[in-house]
Amino acid sequence: MPVHEITTDAEGNHVGTDGDITVSLVGGRMFKRRVIKGVGTEGAQEVCWLVCELDGVRVYQSGRNVIVSRADINP
Amino acid sequence: MAATVQLVEKNGAGGTQTDKTSGNIRFKNADNSTVDTSNPMVKPGAGVDYSFEKWLRMNVSGGTYTEITNVKVYMDGANGLGTGVTLYAKAVTAYATPAEATATAGYADAFTYTSGSPLTLGAGPYTSTGEKADHCVMMLTVGTTASGGITPSEVLTLSWDEI
Repeated sequence: MPVHEITTDAEGNHVGTDGDITVSLVGGRMFKRRVIKGVGTEGAQEVCWLVCELDGVRVYQSGRNVIVSRADINP
Repeated sequence: MAATVQLVEKNGAGGTQTDKTSGNIRFKNADNSTVDTSNPMVKPGAGVDYSFEKWLRMNVSGGTYTEITNVKVYMDGANGLGTGVTLYAKAVTAYATPAEATATAGYADAFTYTSGSPLTLGAGPYTSTGEKADHCVMMLTVGTTASGGITPSEVLTLSWDEI
């Protein structure tokens, strides 16, 4: 799974992309939530979610799946 | 770009690192990272047999990133190691030479740490390369009700936020 790229413009607005889907955030905070699942086994794999946070609401994007929640969610 | 992250096992007085990101971690009665059947856990006649501690830590080996925060680990919530086998975990800041555990005090059942309630290893922020956040110290006990042989494998998830 690709790791998202995040860029920030001069006004502080964020753009995150996984190369397929691009998410833009005006204000707020954007970061990647990365995990390695299956650590300690030969089947270990990386997962990356793009997280946008604005006024306590978070949008989690992974591939074509999007979750909108106030909760702190882990992959 | 992104950070290149490993989970390393540390052994010996100097904390020699072994990358265990995609390698098995074998709980045993010795301080080494070798996955073999030497120094096995022993099903006791009474009480429990404690393993040596496993000192695991996040290591950023390269890549490019601004900062890492919110480092956590968790399990799937269901102990698949078998009857009489229990896995424990705790967070510890300073490294100490792995020793054979003698009690469960200070630990919690590792399977109580789930994606909804993970074990926090450090808020950060962390920058640059090298070991980051607290160690995840794990140990395993084998009780009288355990079956013989090698247990099924279980998996750990390492999670962090990154910009």
